[in-house]
Amino acid sequence: MSDETPQHDPLEKVIELRLPSKLGYERVAMDTASSLARRMGFAADRIESLKTAISEAVTNAMEHGNQQDAAMKVVVLLTAREDELIVSVADQGRKPLDQDCTTGSPKIEDALERDDKGGWGIWLIRELMDEVEFTTAPSGGNQVRMVIHLEQ
Amino acid sequence: MMLEDELTVSTRERDGVAIIDLVGDVTTFAEEKINTAYREVTNNGARFVLLNFRQNDYINSAGIAILIGIVTEVNRNSQRLAVSGLSQHFQKIFRMVGLAQYAEIYQDEEEAIVGFKRVA
Repeated sequence: MSDETPQHDPLEKVIELRLPSKLGYERVAMDTASSLARRMGFAADRIESLKTAISEAVTNAMEHGNQQDAAMKVVVLLTAREDELIVSVADQGRKPLDQDCTTGSPKIEDALERDDKGGWGIWLIRELMDEVEFTTAPSGGNQVRMVIHLEQ
Repeated sequence: MMLEDELTVSTRERDGVAIIDLVGDVTTFAEEKINTAYREVTNNGARFVLLNFRQNDYINSAGIAILIGIVTEVNRNSQRLAVSGLSQHFQKIFRMVGLAQYAEIYQDEEEAIVGFKRVA
């Protein structure tokens, strides 16, 4: 028989941030994650990758999911385990994420021809993190779960 | 709380190279400043343009999109573009995105000036 209550690893530490959907506040998540990752023992280059991934996930949530409505929150959960850091970023889902944009690989040659030169964020997250998963949060918003492993 | 505007952009000329100094963060808020500086040096006839980054601990995908816009203009105007002063992390990102195919990456301004002289 399985126990329905989630069993938390006693070594697991969770930090929760609730950010207004206003560009610039992603820096608070980047700084917090960076500080936590440093204490966990991540190398400097991995911390830089983590900061970039979090920045992209949070700005996506603000701009896309929450349509830049400052009153809507982006919830960032940082879960520190012994051997990895899990980052979950959830918006309140005004606009669901197009699944196509979670799998594509943008090409600079195409971007040079387009008026919109963007579209690099999700690809960067996938390239920089060890595990990435896009889901719908229980509340209906978009959620991205990213994992970065601590190499010993 | 000032979280938005964290970039100072200025232009100067050295040895025939138009240098655009970018001090601070390159995000969506940087667009007008960077494009204005680029237009200014281009209107002054620049053939060699160096984006000289300093203290850029934050360049995001919106900032990358702005720089791809500059590459488009540089190609259209038959100029040469290089970047210098990027941290190891952002050098890696520039290579990943493909910006390095269009803008030579130099460690610092001195190296970039020498590099431009080689192709001039």
